[in-house]
Amino acid sequence: MITYLIRRVLAAVGVLALVALLTYWIFFALSADPAVMICGKTCSPERIDQIRATLGVDQPFMTQFFTFIGGIFAGRTYGTGANAIECAAPCLGFSFQTNQSVLEMIGDRMPVSITIAVGAAILWLLIGVSAGVLSAVKQGTWWDKAAMMVALSGISLPNYFIALVLQYVLVVELQILPFPSTPAFGDDPMFWFKSYLMPWTVLAFGYASMYARLTRTNMIDTLGENFIRTARAKGLGSGLVLGRHALRPSLTPIVTLFGMDFAGLLGGALITETVFGLNGVGKLTSDAISKNDQPVIMGVTLMAALFVIVANIIVDVLYTTLDPRVRTKVA
Amino acid sequence: MSMLPAGLLNEPGEVTSEPHEGPSSTRGRSSTFRRITSAMFASPAAMLSAGFIILIVLIAIAAPLLVKVSGWDPFQYDDSAINPDLGGLPIAPWGGISAEHWFGVEPQSGRDVFARIVYGARVSLTIAFSAAAITTIVGVVLGMLAGFFGGWVDQVISRVMDFLMAFPSLIFMIALLSALPAGNRPVLLVMVLCIFGWPYIARVIRGQTMSLARREFVEAAQASGASKAAIVFKEILPNLTGTIIVLVTLAIPGYIGTEAALSFLGVGVVPPTPSWGQMIAMAVPWYATDPMFFFVPGLFLFLTVLSFTVFGDHLSRAIDTGETQK
Amino acid sequence: MKSKKLVLGLALASALLLTACGGGSNTPTPGSGSSAAAEGAAGGTVRIIGPEYSHLDPAMGFDGGVTNFYRLVYRTLTTNSTEEGKSGEMRPDLATDLGTPSDGGKTWTFTLKDGIAFEDGTPITSAEVKFGVSRVFDPEVGIGSPWAKQLLDDGSGYQGPYIDKDKDFKAIETPDAKTVVFHLNKPFADFSSVAGQNTFAPFPVGTGAAGAFDAKPIASGPYKVDSYTRGGGMKLSRNEKWDAKTDTVRPAKPDNFEFLFGLDGATIDERMLAGQSGDQNAFQSGSIQPANVSRLQDPSVKDRAVRIDPICTTYMTMNTTKKPLDDLKVRQAINFAVDKVSVQTAGGGSQLAKFANTIMPPTMLGWVDYDAYPTPDNKGDAAKAKAMLAEAGFPDGIELTLDTRSGKNQGYAESVQQSLALAGVKVNLNVIDPATFYEVIGTTSQQHDLAVTGWCPDWASGQTFLPPILDGRNIMPKGNSNHAQLNDPVINKRMDEIAAMTDVAAANKAWGELDQQIMETAAPMVPLVYENNVQLRGSNIDPGVVGFNAGVDLVTLSLIDPGK
Repeated sequence: MITYLIRRVLAAVGVLALVALLTYWIFFALSADPAVMICGKTCSPERIDQIRATLGVDQPFMTQFFTFIGGIFAGRTYGTGANAIECAAPCLGFSFQTNQSVLEMIGDRMPVSITIAVGAAILWLLIGVSAGVLSAVKQGTWWDKAAMMVALSGISLPNYFIALVLQYVLVVELQILPFPSTPAFGDDPMFWFKSYLMPWTVLAFGYASMYARLTRTNMIDTLGENFIRTARAKGLGSGLVLGRHALRPSLTPIVTLFGMDFAGLLGGALITETVFGLNGVGKLTSDAISKNDQPVIMGVTLMAALFVIVANIIVDVLYTTLDPRVRTKVA
Repeated sequence: MSMLPAGLLNEPGEVTSEPHEGPSSTRGRSSTFRRITSAMFASPAAMLSAGFIILIVLIAIAAPLLVKVSGWDPFQYDDSAINPDLGGLPIAPWGGISAEHWFGVEPQSGRDVFARIVYGARVSLTIAFSAAAITTIVGVVLGMLAGFFGGWVDQVISRVMDFLMAFPSLIFMIALLSALPAGNRPVLLVMVLCIFGWPYIARVIRGQTMSLARREFVEAAQASGASKAAIVFKEILPNLTGTIIVLVTLAIPGYIGTEAALSFLGVGVVPPTPSWGQMIAMAVPWYATDPMFFFVPGLFLFLTVLSFTVFGDHLSRAIDTGETQK
Repeated sequence: MKSKKLVLGLALASALLLTACGGGSNTPTPGSGSSAAAEGAAGGTVRIIGPEYSHLDPAMGFDGGVTNFYRLVYRTLTTNSTEEGKSGEMRPDLATDLGTPSDGGKTWTFTLKDGIAFEDGTPITSAEVKFGVSRVFDPEVGIGSPWAKQLLDDGSGYQGPYIDKDKDFKAIETPDAKTVVFHLNKPFADFSSVAGQNTFAPFPVGTGAAGAFDAKPIASGPYKVDSYTRGGGMKLSRNEKWDAKTDTVRPAKPDNFEFLFGLDGATIDERMLAGQSGDQNAFQSGSIQPANVSRLQDPSVKDRAVRIDPICTTYMTMNTTKKPLDDLKVRQAINFAVDKVSVQTAGGGSQLAKFANTIMPPTMLGWVDYDAYPTPDNKGDAAKAKAMLAEAGFPDGIELTLDTRSGKNQGYAESVQQSLALAGVKVNLNVIDPATFYEVIGTTSQQHDLAVTGWCPDWASGQTFLPPILDGRNIMPKGNSNHAQLNDPVINKRMDEIAAMTDVAAANKAWGELDQQIMETAAPMVPLVYENNVQLRGSNIDPGVVGFNAGVDLVTLSLIDPGK
């Protein structure tokens, strides 16, 4: 198990390094000159060169890349003389646009993204999985059909579409909810809840639909398997059969999927945050992209990849404990 | 959500199930085919969605003809249909729907929404179909290679797949598209969709190839001295047909949705070329004052994605049922 | 030359100024005249909802929105007036007058007022003014208004007070604590306006290195920054050390300001339209979106809309170095062909834009109203354009590529594409991402035939409008702003002559006349629209006066009932 873990972690570091290199290279090769954007309206070629030197983008690619990687492990110093800024490890650099530390920027916005992701995850797991289980048990009934209809629409409707329809109906017309925003929980818990409710719902809808369909399929498969039939034949109560024997194996793929989906969301629910104007990592990303703020894009990409990779490892470890059939293979 | 693999992840349980068909024989396959088609014909939902898909494809093909009938091309301005004093809002109610403009007009320009929908269908479908075709070919080839040869071939392909799947693909697609010159946006879109899309197909194909490779009929072929290429193309590929068809059907709505999402985020197809996602993006600010403008492309997008998903669902189930009945 | 990227957001002068400015608008406005609401009182907290500011450091920020904000926190030697209809004029601020020129306008002397201090109580003397201005020479700091740097560069290679710590910058002299003397490198008659640029804000000697002011400014104006969260918001409270008696310009009635950043335009519109709890004390610092213009018809909203007069022009340049645009006849034909009403609708219709026929907007001092290429109802004259093209030797029409960026400017480009098609000009759109747009069109080798872009002045004089975009000697291979690449010796010479005039009013008038001369003799561009903001105010807000920036002058805002 330990060697397995070590191997996985090493592989993860390799993948991360590749992601970093590739991202850095693509922006280095393709992206617009950030100096021109900063230079703005009253620009001259000399000033552009000056800004390029200040940003360090006048260096050859590999030099820049290794300075960046070096910054992550050892920190680095920006600027010279009185304008010098010390950036301690792990240093992701400074935004071209705001001169803020990228790490701080991500840190500032993380709580919002986590709040959105966790709330939505609770919603979609609760609703998605229980709807799926119910549908599987009551396969073919009107409940099953209705639930699966809703789930189908859920995966077919773009979430920005749902977001705007909900906002129009609930906020503009009926005025039941406030405009989504990111208040502090402590100030007014009710207002906090109401402000986040719509983003949670919008984000959760698609996932819940997906999970309901997946749970249903898995449950039906498992219920048809031999060991369940045996358990039933032994006279175990249907509740027990469901709980102990059917649910567990059906949920294993859900755990895998959930780990990846949730990790993906920590990198920012880009569309939801953008549509509602919520100041999370997703919004930070889309803003950075529109302003060509390369250090921020780099930072967010790396962090998002890190989450997915870590989740991958955790999921695999969990998998072995959840599903007895896999356990033997890894150990 | 709206991430690239969404369409494929919808049904991993079904798609990743064991290979559907047994040893291939012409007679067996044609009877399987008949069973599946009759199962599909028996389902009204499958037929309705197939009908809608055919309708949309026909609309896309016949777009130039349709706009001749409706009288407005998708780029033509009509300033008599909008009110410049109200920010360019359509004059007629319901988004400017009239005998002249069947689905209303676009605010601020008066362009005909019907014409843009039918031309948008062309763009959206072309991108989704091309991406699906390319990812399928790449995914099937690489998936079969990895699954059949194993060893270092499998290692290399699997690591590349892990790598691409660990990538924050939506972030990356947006960043990539905004950095690239606008020149040939549809081609770039297809490219970006393909880069991040093929592993999801290859993963499934790899798994199935691995289990097929262990079956008796493959081993028998190997024993009789058939070349590796012959085994892959004559024995394994035919047995993957069902899976591939299901994968393609489920990939298409995923790509339609992703193209729309990218256009929605402003990095997709460049206006004035219409695509549905881009039309929705344009309509977003107008959702309160001109809901029709938002609703029409939204409805088309929804119905198309829904139809493909329902059709794919039924197809996959029909193939599965065929398998268990045997 | 405020950052072009904010061209669209910039505007000037309120509904109240419509008549004062002459050429404002000819269409009925829901908001006009409505700001005659109840008079605001002192005290309370005003909430500002809008886009985040680029930099809190005044040497770095240089667009209309941020300049408007700086007036709350910083004072400069001179500043724009807060009198209705006179916001283009300069008034003494920290200085007792608008400065005294000598040496033929090469030396300017300012005397500081008594009783001026920073938020920590440190008195503001000539040394602090000198320090503040000299910061622009630091290559990392001086990315804002270039005027101080251009006019005060003494050729010594000075790099600002942080890098060249021990060097004395000779171009600014401080003979005593109350006197500042500027030695310019050439005569400049309008230096009184330059002294009102953001870069003329004073700072305590030695402060502000390493971007410190972007996080925590040191206030010299009526408010100080209490807290600031990037992407979230900012709180200002009264600067007790600011003495109203020394400041005849800023009413500064509220006690606090609260800024909300990071909301998207549609959400801001919805909030302002709804005007729910707390938002009755709010003011929109951006503009309402075209999609919501029709909602201004609602009586509850109608008198909460403040229409601003434009200060920027959006135009389409024609690259005079490319065939067939090197032919004046072709450029004139294109001027005749463009349907400006359609362009105006693309800009949000009559409420948010007015079609333009001049290079400079009507709010410029000395502006001349003319239309060099009149067409019926301003809707373009395809037949005439076609005939002129045939005359120029293109009876079968021409094909051109138009550079534009996604967003509103693309709407203009598509509209132009439609109307030019009628005249036999096939236009291919090259839509560029906003992040790279100026890099592409500012690089002469990458630029195509046409480009939709715009310009805003730094102050209300043609000096800051025409030379940067039309002087042939300003053409640069990279970072170019003369996108027409016009290099006409007659026009260049005239620009030199006007710049040398010592009578500022006469010079401004001459710039207005040159505007017309350029369009008639060179036609390097098609003026498209003057965009204007429409801002929504909460029901408890007295919108005060419109300033020379992105709309209502924030420092003139107040609450009608501060108790609410």
